Amino acid sequence: MAVVSVDRLRKRYRRRDPWAVDGVSFELEPGQAFGLLGPNGSGKTSIVKMIAGLLRPDEGTVQLFGSDPGNPSSRREMGFAPEDPDFPKFLRAGEVMDYFASLLGLDETDRKRRIPETLEFAGLDKERRHIRQFSKGMKQRLGIAQAILGRPKLLILDEPTADLDPLGRRDVRALIDRLKDSGVAVLLNSHLLSEVELVCDTVAILAKGRVLKEGTMAEVVPEGRNLEDVFVELIQANTPQHDQLPSFITDQEKK
Amino acid sequence: MTGALAVGRYTLLELSRRRILLVFFVLGALGIVCLGVGLKVLYSFASSQGSFGAPNTDPAALNRYLELAFVNYVFSALGVFGLLIAFAIGMTAIYHDLESGAAVSIFAKPVSRFAFAVGKIGGAVLALVAIVGLLAVETRIVMFLFGGGLEASLTGEAAAVVANTMVVMLIVLALSTWMNNIVAAVVAFVYYNVITGVIAFVHKLFETGVIKNDVVKAIFDILYWVVPHELVSSAPGDLAKAQVALSNAQTDQGVLAAIPSASGWSDIAWWAFVVIFFAGLVYLAVRRRQV
Repeated sequence: MAVVSVDRLRKRYRRRDPWAVDGVSFELEPGQAFGLLGPNGSGKTSIVKMIAGLLRPDEGTVQLFGSDPGNPSSRREMGFAPEDPDFPKFLRAGEVMDYFASLLGLDETDRKRRIPETLEFAGLDKERRHIRQFSKGMKQRLGIAQAILGRPKLLILDEPTADLDPLGRRDVRALIDRLKDSGVAVLLNSHLLSEVELVCDTVAILAKGRVLKEGTMAEVVPEGRNLEDVFVELIQANTPQHDQLPSFITDQEKK
Repeated sequence: MTGALAVGRYTLLELSRRRILLVFFVLGALGIVCLGVGLKVLYSFASSQGSFGAPNTDPAALNRYLELAFVNYVFSALGVFGLLIAFAIGMTAIYHDLESGAAVSIFAKPVSRFAFAVGKIGGAVLALVAIVGLLAVETRIVMFLFGGGLEASLTGEAAAVVANTMVVMLIVLALSTWMNNIVAAVVAFVYYNVITGVIAFVHKLFETGVIKNDVVKAIFDILYWVVPHELVSSAPGDLAKAQVALSNAQTDQGVLAAIPSASGWSDIAWWAFVVIFFAGLVYLAVRRRQV
């Protein structure tokens, strides 16, 4: 059974808006790392939010472990690290983890083991400040820590390394590799194409809510080229480009 | 159930760390103490000045008058600070989770929106009861130390404050799920404290026979039972009776009839319905919310 099955998914936020997601279909199998790529506003986050049960699709279906993601029990084996994560501001990292462990229904033994270990992995084990005093990078690390707390069979990472330093990025890459090896499916949204190329087996390139190209890394990236070249070429061919500099900049150059 | 308990527990913990609640609590606590101290200072001053220059005034009657004034003000202070605290809780308990993005991580966990709403409402109600309860305990201590009488009315008054402010808090909670929390607070204030207050006041005028018009009375009778109205404890009545007794005036039936009576079972049943209705609205708002 597919971990995630997305079929002709469509979503728009207001009736007069264009479709944010327009007829997207794909499946994700256990142990597979799937990369969703696309420029800003291409619908990547909307897709993962519909998979996580946070947004309702207007058309099409999403199946998470064979059931509707709106059903809380279907989310039991899913971990989701959102883009730009935030948490209750007056709690500490350990309290956030304990809160989420309760929501996951972890027993006392699991909590005592997993919470310190995940906090240590995230480098937040000695952190005693409230979340409101955390930097963006610290929140991102906590976001990843809470996503793996329930030992998920599906890990959704939405721009997981955007605010991380190079060491943090390396740790996330190692985490994804390790989880893939143990049969966990990973859905990765990222702008960092080199990173996606390193960890993903399959990718889908999106623009304006539609899938432009999808397949295994070998199918999408021909021999001798890299993902970034393919991505730029595909996006440029399918979206109008605004590469002209503002006139006040070019005027200054002339002087 | 586990999810609702977790949400409730951490909502309570978060609220206990919010500075705005601490500020309102400290201001309320200081205000109540100042009222008690002020009463004693005023009494000492009045006694030393020959009862404000009126030497024939009975010192015991003056003391009683000041005590009743103290009780009146301290009960009002409890109501005002209870209302401020209800607004502060209502504006923050759910709104900040939704606006900051914390709700994204929470709703992605295996917790239903119903459990989330129940936990949030439970945590908010407990916080309100705890803070108003602490202010009531402090009021009781101040009344014990500085006098005042009518101690028996305090429990009922504190319960009425909690009941009334709980309705306001639920309205703000529900509205703040749909709109900005400041706008939600303004709308709730206009709805509950202005519109409902005016309807209840005019209804009271008809009830006591101050205004006599059968058609308008029928309209306000209907309006009175479609809006939430405040529960009234026995405290205002007890206070009014004590003030009438102190004045030694001949009390006619009109004066006695104007003394407000405590809410009856029908009012309490209506309050319970209103609470369930607005709690249901909070749930519906949370359920519909996409994050």
